[in-house]
Amino acid sequence: MKLAKYVKFREEKFGGVVFETRSEKVYTLNPSAAAVLREIEEGADEHEIPKRVQARFQDASGAIEREVTALIAELRQKGLVED
Amino acid sequence: MESEVADRDACTLIPATTPGTTVTGDLGAPLYVAWQVTNECNLACLHCIEESGPGKAFRDELSKAQVFRVLEQVMEYQVPYLSFSGGEPMIHPHFFEMVEYVCARNGELKIETNGHYLTPENCERLKALGVKAVQVSLDGASRETFNRMRVRGDFDRTIEGMRNLRAAGVPIEINYSPTRFNAHEIGAAVDLACELGAYSFYTGPTMYTGNAVKTWHLLELSEDQYATFFQVLHAKTEEYRGRMRVYFHEMGLLEELRYRLHHPAALLIVLPNGLVKLINALPFVCGDLRTQTLGEIWANFQRAWQDPRVAQFVEDLATDPGKTSSLHQWVYL
Repeated sequence: MKLAKYVKFREEKFGGVVFETRSEKVYTLNPSAAAVLREIEEGADEHEIPKRVQARFQDASGAIEREVTALIAELRQKGLVED
Repeated sequence: MESEVADRDACTLIPATTPGTTVTGDLGAPLYVAWQVTNECNLACLHCIEESGPGKAFRDELSKAQVFRVLEQVMEYQVPYLSFSGGEPMIHPHFFEMVEYVCARNGELKIETNGHYLTPENCERLKALGVKAVQVSLDGASRETFNRMRVRGDFDRTIEGMRNLRAAGVPIEINYSPTRFNAHEIGAAVDLACELGAYSFYTGPTMYTGNAVKTWHLLELSEDQYATFFQVLHAKTEEYRGRMRVYFHEMGLLEELRYRLHHPAALLIVLPNGLVKLINALPFVCGDLRTQTLGEIWANFQRAWQDPRVAQFVEDLATDPGKTSSLHQWVYL
């Protein structure tokens, strides 16, 4: 999985921004969502990302793992990532 | 892996605005740099907001070295979206080198052109370099209308240029400035744009500035004419939904500026000499790329919107709309 051809990601102090250049839509990301995008950009394995982000944010509840999985599904559904 | 704060919001993607409308907020850099690379133009359009035309290049336009220093910064700050406009950007002496520089670094670049230099060779070159899109100004659906507004312009050449873009596989956008000459052709122009393969069509009220100040008596549309114009656009938006994006704004200039006072767009307007404007419709300059970094200018941009002179200018427009005629008499903030 990687960022789609027309997608730009930039980290910000508050998290990050994603710019889909075909539709010219901009999405803002909180720190944990930005961490997901950073992992994708760095080429991390999709199945590893939830655990890596969970570890980064020291989340023992497991909530973040589910959210990351949902976020990746949303990114795929919006065409922001591709295989 | 480095640990980060555990106290957090849910991991989300927050939609969605366009780079030109996203407010500055806490962004570390602009999302969009709109660069008027030269004021020189092969045409002398009646409605040109930039006072561009033949022989109208600024005397102090950026040198080649300065141009590439600016581009270097745009890339360094990861500005995700950049456009080259003019004047006519394709007559800039280093146009293709600039395009190559941006595209080779994965920059997303749009070219805003009058379409007169879109030869098959140039279109193939733009495709090979990987520009995001070429926006062509198509102010009319007929030769008669187009050529009256675009003095020295040639409708057939513009259409041929768009066909060349399509043949080369370059994404096409259309920009349309409504005036008394062409407002009645808006429906046909949208149809023509789609037929020529455009994926986006943009329009909105023409501004009273630049060349239009001198020709306003020929150009100005009445409220009724604008109402009819937008009525057609609403219908065309539905007709082309899913095939071509018809995008237009009905907001008057004053209304838009009042909104921008509180919600500045994450957009820098760069003039041919490197000065940076707050927004096209105001005379205020917030930086100079010849002497300041993009980071310094971005910081000043956000402060400059709070300058009382900006709010005063906007409020004065309510009683004196003619103030926009002085947009080219820059005021440094």
